[in-house]
Amino acid sequence: MSERVAVDLKVNGTTHRVSVPAMRTLMAVLRDDLGLTGTKNACDQGVCGSCTVLIDGAPARACLALAVALPGIAITTVEGLAQGDTLSPVQQAFLDAGAIQCGFCMPGMIIQATALLAENKRPSEDDIRHSISGNLCRCSGYTKVIEAISLAASRLTP
Amino acid sequence: MTETRFHAPERLEDAISLLSADEDARPLAGGQTLVAMLNADLLSPSQIISLHRIKALQGIERRADGSLRIGAMTTHAVLARSGDLRGAHRLLGEAAGRIGHEAIRNRGTIGGAVAHADPSADYPPVLVALEAVIEAVGPKGKRVIPAAEFFQGFLTTALNLGEIVSAIILPPSPAEACTHYEKFARVEGDFATLSVAVALWGGGVRIALGSVGPVPVRSAEAEAKLFAGQLSDGAIKEASAKLVAASDPIDDVRGSADYRRLLIPRLVKQAIRTAQAKDAR
Ligand SMILES: Cc1cc2nc3c(=O)[nH]c(=O)nc-3n(C[C@H](O)[C@H](O)[C@H](O)COP(=O)(O)OP(=O)(O)OC[C@H]3O[C@@H](n4cnc5c(N)ncnc54)[C@H](O)[C@@H]3O)c2cc1C
Repeated sequence: MSERVAVDLKVNGTTHRVSVPAMRTLMAVLRDDLGLTGTKNACDQGVCGSCTVLIDGAPARACLALAVALPGIAITTVEGLAQGDTLSPVQQAFLDAGAIQCGFCMPGMIIQATALLAENKRPSEDDIRHSISGNLCRCSGYTKVIEAISLAASRLTP
Repeated sequence: MTETRFHAPERLEDAISLLSADEDARPLAGGQTLVAMLNADLLSPSQIISLHRIKALQGIERRADGSLRIGAMTTHAVLARSGDLRGAHRLLGEAAGRIGHEAIRNRGTIGGAVAHADPSADYPPVLVALEAVIEAVGPKGKRVIPAAEFFQGFLTTALNLGEIVSAIILPPSPAEACTHYEKFARVEGDFATLSVAVALWGGGVRIALGSVGPVPVRSAEAEAKLFAGQLSDGAIKEASAKLVAASDPIDDVRGSADYRRLLIPRLVKQAIRTAQAKDAR
């Protein structure tokens, strides 16, 4: 148990005032208070990468952040990437490359890849492997994921 | 049932008075260890004192004498790409870049890592090799503790109740120093099975090992052998034997104690030769 604290969370450009226990993680608030279940819950220890979101533009584990410590800070989840019905270039490339198997690790992978391509316009295969090294896919479908990220890069920077 | 309260003070003194009044209160830095422990039900603090808003814990400052003061809240990501790290100080940036994954490095801080004192963590051997000092602030004021005395055992440091790490201070380093941080881990992002921190410059050799004992391993005899033997293969072999003798590894999921002892000579040589190759560049 812990006391409830009111906090303004800025998620995908919208500010939500939530009243949450001090110890509730960002992941729990996103999923349970805001209904944004694209952020997946698996290991709860920061190891698997399935809850990766952008905090102030940088990839971070939602399971290792306390929501109360993030007032007003821009948070982007996988739900915030598409523009209306148009998928983001990374999302579209994952579909086109057939990079999706069971889909569970995809939101974390897509967020991580989005951050990579924002910093590195022409990543080598090695850069891509390095970047997603903290995102586990238990279907072990990494090859298609790497292809998808290369495809997104080539479309963004022809 | 007690309620966990949350505070995010702006003043260092306020954080310290909250922490010194309640031994079940915990400071929160990057949360990359603390929140994982909360999630695993390993801890149930009465209060969480977030250090994020305290300006005195932020920033990297070069002081007039050439030493570098690194605020406790500096993240691993910032250190990994910091242009402020020069000469032997680069060793710290090299180690920072090998911690966990990008998402962990973006949030985790040097103060949190140092205070947690995991024997397999990446900063402790670097700080011991560089003869860094840990600046701590508590109810009785500020003090500085040499890294070799700060790390006392498994998850155990010289910090007293109510004290927090405020900064890490790296002593002045000669610009020509060359360095290498060699980390051997099972997979990328894992804690080290063994790590070797090396800094070399005209007048000296510094070397410390991580993950082969409750605290980093450094040996004056090993460094003397390396210096006297001018880093020859023979000198590296003799120095490695001294380091093996000074180590006290355990068996765990990352490797047996015997395996770790076997790794020491190999990784020590690799670390020294890689540091030298960087020098030649
Ligand atoms: C998946 C994963 C992989 C990792 N891999 C590595 C690795 O390869 N190498 C490595 O070295 N580390 C690794 N870590 C640990 C990481 O470096 C953490 O960032 C670090 O140990 C704790 O720093 P923090 O800022 O997140 O501290 P927190 O988690 O906020 O705090 C850690 C502890 O220190 C206390 N504390 C925090 N700040 C202070 C302070 N200024 N003064 C006093 N006490 C304080 C807290 O109360 C808590 O007990 C990994 C972590 C994860 C989740």
